[in-house]
Amino acid sequence: MSVARYDLNKCIGCKSCVTVCPMDVFRFDNAANKSVIAYPENCQSCGQCYVNCLGRALTIVNDMYGYALTSYRAATTVPMNRKAQAVIDRT
Amino acid sequence: MAKSISRRDFIKGMAGIGAASAVTALAGIPVAHAESETELVERVTTELPIPEAEAPAKTEYECDVLVIGGGFAGLNAAAAAADQGQSVVMIDKGHPGYSGLSPWPSSHRWADKEMGDDYDALRKCIQHGSEYLGNMDLYEVWLEESKATYERLRDWGILDQYETAKESGFYNDSGDPADCSGDYQGYHEKFYQHDRRTKFAAVLRDKGIEYADYTMVTNVIVENNKVCGAVGFHVPSGAIITCHAKAVVMAMGGGCYKPTGFPTGGVTFDGEYIAYNLGLPIAGKEFDDFHMTLSWAPGNAFLNNNWTYLDPLWLCGGDITADTAISYATTKGKVMVLDRVTKSMTGLAVTDGTGVEDMSQQDVTRRGGSASENPGEVRTGKCNDTMYKGDIYGAAVGFGAHLTNGVFCGLDDLEGKTSIEGLWVSGDGMQACGPTGAAYPTGVGFTSNYVSTMGNRAGKAAAEYAAGAELTKIPAERIEEETEKIQAPLSVEKGFDPTWARDQLHSIMSPYWVYIAKSKATLEATLTQIEYMRDRVIPKLQAASYHDVRMCLEMQHKILNAELSLRASLAREETRGLHFRTDFPYRDDENFLCYITLTKNAEGGMDIEKVPVKDEWKGDLTEDYKSRYTYYFPKELETLGLPAEEATGGWGGK
Ligand SMILES: Cc1cc2nc3c(=O)[nH]c(=O)nc-3n(C[C@H](O)[C@H](O)[C@H](O)COP(=O)(O)OP(=O)(O)OC[C@H]3O[C@@H](n4cnc5c(N)ncnc54)[C@H](O)[C@@H]3O)c2cc1C
Ligand code: SF4
Ligand code: SF4
Repeated sequence: MSVARYDLNKCIGCKSCVTVCPMDVFRFDNAANKSVIAYPENCQSCGQCYVNCLGRALTIVNDMYGYALTSYRAATTVPMNRKAQAVIDRT
Repeated sequence: MAKSISRRDFIKGMAGIGAASAVTALAGIPVAHAESETELVERVTTELPIPEAEAPAKTEYECDVLVIGGGFAGLNAAAAAADQGQSVVMIDKGHPGYSGLSPWPSSHRWADKEMGDDYDALRKCIQHGSEYLGNMDLYEVWLEESKATYERLRDWGILDQYETAKESGFYNDSGDPADCSGDYQGYHEKFYQHDRRTKFAAVLRDKGIEYADYTMVTNVIVENNKVCGAVGFHVPSGAIITCHAKAVVMAMGGGCYKPTGFPTGGVTFDGEYIAYNLGLPIAGKEFDDFHMTLSWAPGNAFLNNNWTYLDPLWLCGGDITADTAISYATTKGKVMVLDRVTKSMTGLAVTDGTGVEDMSQQDVTRRGGSASENPGEVRTGKCNDTMYKGDIYGAAVGFGAHLTNGVFCGLDDLEGKTSIEGLWVSGDGMQACGPTGAAYPTGVGFTSNYVSTMGNRAGKAAAEYAAGAELTKIPAERIEEETEKIQAPLSVEKGFDPTWARDQLHSIMSPYWVYIAKSKATLEATLTQIEYMRDRVIPKLQAASYHDVRMCLEMQHKILNAELSLRASLAREETRGLHFRTDFPYRDDENFLCYITLTKNAEGGMDIEKVPVKDEWKGDLTEDYKSRYTYYFPKELETLGLPAEEATGGWGGK
């Protein structure tokens, strides 16, 4: 779960996100000519919508995705988590 | 690009507001929407209400060959069938090229005699690496046909070579993970014309192949053991879609319970479920892929395994020689099998995943390329941009080992032909018992080519069959029956949320004692929980939308997959490749040089059978254990009374 809206104003209605998402996360509002992030709980954080968004209206956030259930966690988990977001943020 | 350093500093200097436009301006890319500071401050981050989706204009199709799934296998099958002059329809749950596993490979391998590849060395390597369960006849097919496959994909534009992200300067590459950011959108905009995923639908259009996207096939309809097409629904609108066909190729991929770091979520064992319920034998289920993810960003596929999404597909091959065949298989086995076992059981064995590796600094053969220096050799191997390495298990729990699990078509099959007239299976998770056997490490970079090769064969065979076959239309009552099944979760008044069920299943299956370090006790305990979910939860899954319907149906498939893999794991009382039993921690050649098949019986139960592999695939059985197997699982040598070795395994640590 990690797609997020960067800015709905920037959505130009190109529908790329609706086409490329393999997880059925998006719907499209024809009247408003905007995409709708309808089912983010099924997002696999693959980033295809994000890189294909012509309006740059989407982003990937690091605080929503489902955790992999694993045996051990790195000691550095907390600071690294912040680093993880830095990898994606262009700011 | 020399600019990268100054650009990075510039971005850092801009810190925050306005940085996005600064990047685009510097890279010289047209900005879709000029943004002012005020616009950024007033960003709108809320969503509009979920609108109704329209049904597609066309909901009923008729054709000679129906291909289900638009990944590498399906694309090649559809193209081959159309090239034979047959009418072809493709149905995909997502959009061709963007769903399943096919958007993600970073490398593409083929065998090339003209470049001097040593085929005997290749055979030796795969046989050793697959731990003698690799189908050597299918490997022979690959040796013969993989170059033609490469040329076909190249001509379609799927293997276009262009500036890598590293060369382009769009990605930072300081080596500090906190600084490995990049202007992904900028890089994509610049090289969009080379984006291989766009080529999948383009090939279909060029060849006059109709496709229905966002359509989930829920069943393949068979009457009197002869295929007559498939039924499904358009997921956004719920419209029922039917396709009457003389022949069907199922190229629907594998699946996982929940993609948490390995982006395989577009596939959910739909094909396996359909095939199993048609009475076809399923094999290879005891070998789990166990992909790794990052402990500090678990579940984030964009960071874990998609790092190279925008780069060209790197061309590989020619790196395995007579001298290196066994050491290649051993090293890969240690890194990809043993390392995962040890990390999963004992924690973070070697690194914390931040050991950002720059493959471009390594020699060509270490990268998987050819050092032949022949003129015209284009296989330079993976030239990774700086990239993280997963340090913990759990990226795609339940994902079966590549090319090993799926429908078992018999020891002599070379095209994915099933025992149902007019039905073929093809690709990852669909056609079982491929050349990679118990462990695919020696086949790295090989799957995208292999499934394309096999897709081409299945498509050709299906077209040849269709040319002489009569169309039997799907009977109306079968369409009604399927429609009822599809709509059933919408009328469940009180029940379980499929998202909860998915997470629950994931929790049951992801502890390391289920797939990594198995024992009779842990497998049986897990099976009890799965049976409980199968009988008590699945019938009560509730849908509030057609999106939910998709999730409910996918859960049925996932539960079946869990049961199949647990029962197959219980049946294989030995350790081999990607199957490690702590209570049988050694390879048992006498009893387990076989495939384990699971077939639905008349009472609805599972029949489990052992099918011995061909003698000529078994290797030299007189060879001593330590030359036959060259890396060892915990307690393996001790149990066999052989001299112990130093611990093996470990990324980077080799
Ligand atoms: C991160 C990652 C990295 C990889 N790296 C490499 C690499 O470097 N080199 C390499 O060679 N390979 C690599 N692979 C493996 C390779 O991508 C796969 O083996 C290959 O793409 C499988 O192709 P396929 O056509 O068999 O299946 P898929 O690509 O999974 O296609 C299955 C298709 O079926 C569709 N489908 C599923 N269910 C239904 C349904 N019910 N109705 C309609 N359609 C349905 C899906 O939407 C999908 O489009 C990688 C995979 C991943 C995920
Ligand atoms: S990140 Fe991937 S799964 Fe998530 S919404 Fe975007 S395309 Fe869909
Ligand atoms: S891809 Fe971007 S601009 Fe296009 S519809 Fe989706 S959100 Fe809007």
